[in-house]
Amino acid sequence: MATTTAAVTLTSDLLSDNMSVTASTTCMKAGTTADGLDQMEYGYLDLVTGDEYDLIGATPTVSKASKLYLKNHSTDETYFIAITQGTQAIGKLYGGDWMFIPADFHDAAGEIAITANGGTNKICYALFHEGITLNASA
Amino acid sequence: MATIATISVSSDIAPGFGGISESMTLTQAGTVTDIDSTSGFQIRKLSGTGAVDLVTMANELVEPKDSVAAKIFIRNIGYKGVTDKSVGVTIGVNAEPIGLLYGGDWMMMPLTCIDADDITATPATDDTVVLEYVMFYEEA
Repeated sequence: MATTTAAVTLTSDLLSDNMSVTASTTCMKAGTTADGLDQMEYGYLDLVTGDEYDLIGATPTVSKASKLYLKNHSTDETYFIAITQGTQAIGKLYGGDWMFIPADFHDAAGEIAITANGGTNKICYALFHEGITLNASA
Repeated sequence: MATIATISVSSDIAPGFGGISESMTLTQAGTVTDIDSTSGFQIRKLSGTGAVDLVTMANELVEPKDSVAAKIFIRNIGYKGVTDKSVGVTIGVNAEPIGLLYGGDWMMMPLTCIDADDITATPATDDTVVLEYVMFYEEA
């Protein structure tokens, strides 16, 4: 079984006492306890300002257990990428920010799109999944 | 100390993949100033398949600033020490499903904090499950 493990440590001093949370999970295929995600895409790209782009070229099988990691590697803190799923705005990743989400891709309109702001943003992403539908060659 | 989130991902799916290890300090939008507000660390027990608001933006005691650098951490911690990897809770934004958090899974996601963009949770089964979460944001 392929094994993908995602761990996080989160600390903050915004509360009256310091908060520290650690979590780790093994990324499994949907609805299983014994079979891990076994396919992935990993990329690094320059994202120019202007248009909105689909981050993932081929839609992973819908309603599965895909996990998406995305980081804005821009070193200018004023640069950001806006993230949408379908028509719904999710949020913004400024230079240095990352996110890690379960990506359901519930239907053809569920793709995650990104738009650069401020200048050309440098993006790193990884999609861990259990199968995609490739486009037929023209 | 600020608010710092560090991710580590290891995987043997692709030969040569060196893993991911990245850290971010949560800052206010477009600056290097630390983010200044939080919902506090909370838990929510769910025992039905109906959708509920995990976070109702309009009800936050400290009004979040819209469309900036907010983040939310959510984790499915199962129930009474038991996590089930085969069932999960769909996390959504303003009724748009983002994805399923199976037992033990966690997520870190940026937010708009716009009043309409509540964070929803919809369990797949009636089995009791607990989500823990904390939101960081800028005060309006």
